[in-house]
Amino acid sequence: MKLLTANRLTDGLVLWYVEGSDLSGWTEDAALATRLEDEAAALLLDEWKARETEVVAPYLVPLIDENTLVKREYVREHVRANGPTAGQTAFDTARQHQRGEVF
Amino acid sequence: MSLLNSSHAPQLVSDQGEVNVNGWTLLADDDALGVDQAVLSFGRAINELDGLNGRYGVRVAPGDDVRKLAPFLSKVALIEVAFPGYRDGRGYSTARILRQDLGFDGELRAVGDVLRDQLFWMMRCGFNSFLLKDADPAGAIRHARSLYTHAYQSAADGLKPVWALRHPA
Amino acid sequence: MYQYDQFDHAMVAARNAEFKDQVERRLKGELSEDQFKPLRLMNGLYLQLHAYMLRIAVPYGVLSSRQMRTFAHIARTYDRDFGHFTTRQNIQFNWIKLADTPQILEDLAAVEMHAIQTSGNCIRNTTTDQFAGAAKDEIDDPRPWAELIRQWSTFHPEFTFLPRKFKIAITGATRDRAAIRVHDIGLQLTDKGFDVYVGGGMGRTPHLGHLIKSGLPGDRLLSYLEAALRVYNRYGRRDNIYKARIKILVSALGPQEYARQVEEEWATLDQAQIDAPHAEIARIKSFFPQPAYAEKPFDVASLERAKAADAGFARWVRNNTLAHRRDDHVSVTISLKPTGLPPGDASSAQMDAMADAADRFGYGELRVSHEQNVILPHVAKADLYELYRLLDQNGLSSANVGKITDMIACPGLDYCSLANARSIPLAQDISQRFADAELTDKIGDLQIKISGCINACGHHHVGHIGILGVDKQGEEFYQILLGGRADEQAALGVITGKGLSAEAVPGALERLIKLYLELRTDETERFIDTVGRLGREAFAGALHEPA
Repeated sequence: MKLLTANRLTDGLVLWYVEGSDLSGWTEDAALATRLEDEAAALLLDEWKARETEVVAPYLVPLIDENTLVKREYVREHVRANGPTAGQTAFDTARQHQRGEVF
Repeated sequence: MSLLNSSHAPQLVSDQGEVNVNGWTLLADDDALGVDQAVLSFGRAINELDGLNGRYGVRVAPGDDVRKLAPFLSKVALIEVAFPGYRDGRGYSTARILRQDLGFDGELRAVGDVLRDQLFWMMRCGFNSFLLKDADPAGAIRHARSLYTHAYQSAADGLKPVWALRHPA
Repeated sequence: MYQYDQFDHAMVAARNAEFKDQVERRLKGELSEDQFKPLRLMNGLYLQLHAYMLRIAVPYGVLSSRQMRTFAHIARTYDRDFGHFTTRQNIQFNWIKLADTPQILEDLAAVEMHAIQTSGNCIRNTTTDQFAGAAKDEIDDPRPWAELIRQWSTFHPEFTFLPRKFKIAITGATRDRAAIRVHDIGLQLTDKGFDVYVGGGMGRTPHLGHLIKSGLPGDRLLSYLEAALRVYNRYGRRDNIYKARIKILVSALGPQEYARQVEEEWATLDQAQIDAPHAEIARIKSFFPQPAYAEKPFDVASLERAKAADAGFARWVRNNTLAHRRDDHVSVTISLKPTGLPPGDASSAQMDAMADAADRFGYGELRVSHEQNVILPHVAKADLYELYRLLDQNGLSSANVGKITDMIACPGLDYCSLANARSIPLAQDISQRFADAELTDKIGDLQIKISGCINACGHHHVGHIGILGVDKQGEEFYQILLGGRADEQAALGVITGKGLSAEAVPGALERLIKLYLELRTDETERFIDTVGRLGREAFAGALHEPA
């Protein structure tokens, strides 16, 4: 099971691929990210690697299950999904989406 | 069709913006000589130029010590400096050594991964022709020449460093 | 400080126009990300975990109050209201949009600032002593030379695609506050010219720089640097980014052979075309006069009374001020390491307050130190109490300069895409554990330096206590190094004991400090000196809980 993530080209904000939403297929809120089957994820990754005017540095985030990151990616993806863990922007991303932490 | 500017096939353009057909051919080391406008590999040039007449081209790879060519420069009309990747900056030193240390005044050409955003630095280092990957090579040269009026440091292009303008002799 | 002339303005304007065009072409897809990346890096723009990060150059750490206010403006207008001062005397903003960057660069150009060459495989900001021009132990002011190097290295056409980044540091005092021994090139100004050290660096394979030239005359500095860079550009490794710094080349060739190749190359250069004439050196020097010192009668008794009445002020004077070349002035360090906040950060309000402080009490001039603090180099002793009150009202009066809580910490995995572990929460925990003022003063001078990965932006190799974040199968662990020093007795710290979890580090440090307090000869023997005297092994056991 995988998530597809990237950064938006124009502002660098973290994006998560979500199916069946608005036109772009991306959301800034990790809580809404679609959990993808590995094969579908690989195809989507190839597609979005070529769409360089929209997103930058797309890659796949492996999951153990729907809400659990693999251990080795935990801190990085937790921080990307929720915001830095310290300072005045602590958990900014989670706050902006008016939710608790995900993962 | 890719939007990417560098997806265009390389075209020969001079530092004055003239686009021309590239008449030079890179020979493999065991190819017979006798072609007009033959470019030799660096190793072959060093080994054979001494015994040759005429004027040749030489392809210099990033790791080649271009000073080894010094004894043979009178037989060299063109030097192609290879940039296998545009991030490999050794060709810039090669160019300056050729122009400023060895006094090479033939055609100095950048080949390989040559893109418009490096043209200005290349011209400053003494390149006067380019096999450029661009939709509009002449426009790329014009643009590169228009970017900077001044330079902080001297190089191979004769531009006076700013300190010389501040303190005219 | 240096003022741009028409040529300097033209350079920055030209670069901004060039970059604006490159951004547009990237947005349109005419440039790939791979082609664009080195171009944006050469203008200080990184893609980090959350957004783009813009690193703005503060050349040799010197800035005016007007420039500091512009940082506040950028923080408010384009970012989330704060900035981070770095270990190369620059400032970083963490939430920048690519699309905004051309306008930000224009805003900066209006106050003679830029983000040129703050990243990329090129020559970076030349850093120096934050007390240059003020310190009592100064032999010669390094700032004009740093400015000379800045100009020579800006848009240098031959050195735009080096094997790797290139960092130069310069010092002009007997104490080295610029860490020159861990830079690619370190320059020591002496009364006989420059001593040149090459091949220092931290990261995966730390090295101290080797002295390859003594007594280099200032008017030959640029051509010598050109030769040194050319040898590196030609022969530095390009096959492996972890082996691409000049320290690897110098180590492989041996310093003598490297020096010989530099001399050989130097002899082929048309030095008269490269070395700036005396007139230019004099012109640049003319921008660094002593300030027009205010003749403010300084009454020792009244200062002592103020200290007696306000213990916080007394402590701040003791810890945060440094002797100045003039007896009636001091240099003041504004600590950006308050308890429990990210080291080196300042809010836009705090930036404005520091600018105000500089205008009222500091002749309009500020410095950024590589230890991530801000300095007012010239403050009349008569003004100290008023300055302290102003700083105190703005959360800028932490009296911990040089002490255990004055830590260097990189942004770490909270912001940086290269990191293995977070550093800011650890720094906050440590600062909370040692928050007690009496304890901090009792411990005395102690430098903790924290890096979130082996790239060592937090300088962990040269901390008295260095902390390196590592990833152990997805968990953050921290290796402790002991005995590092960044000064003129530079030394690389050595890993001591096993890696510790984040929770275990503050307790380990407490045991370490407790042992130090027991073992030191008296309170004048600093931690680093006790480690030097007794060896790290004496302290290794304290790091881990007794069985």
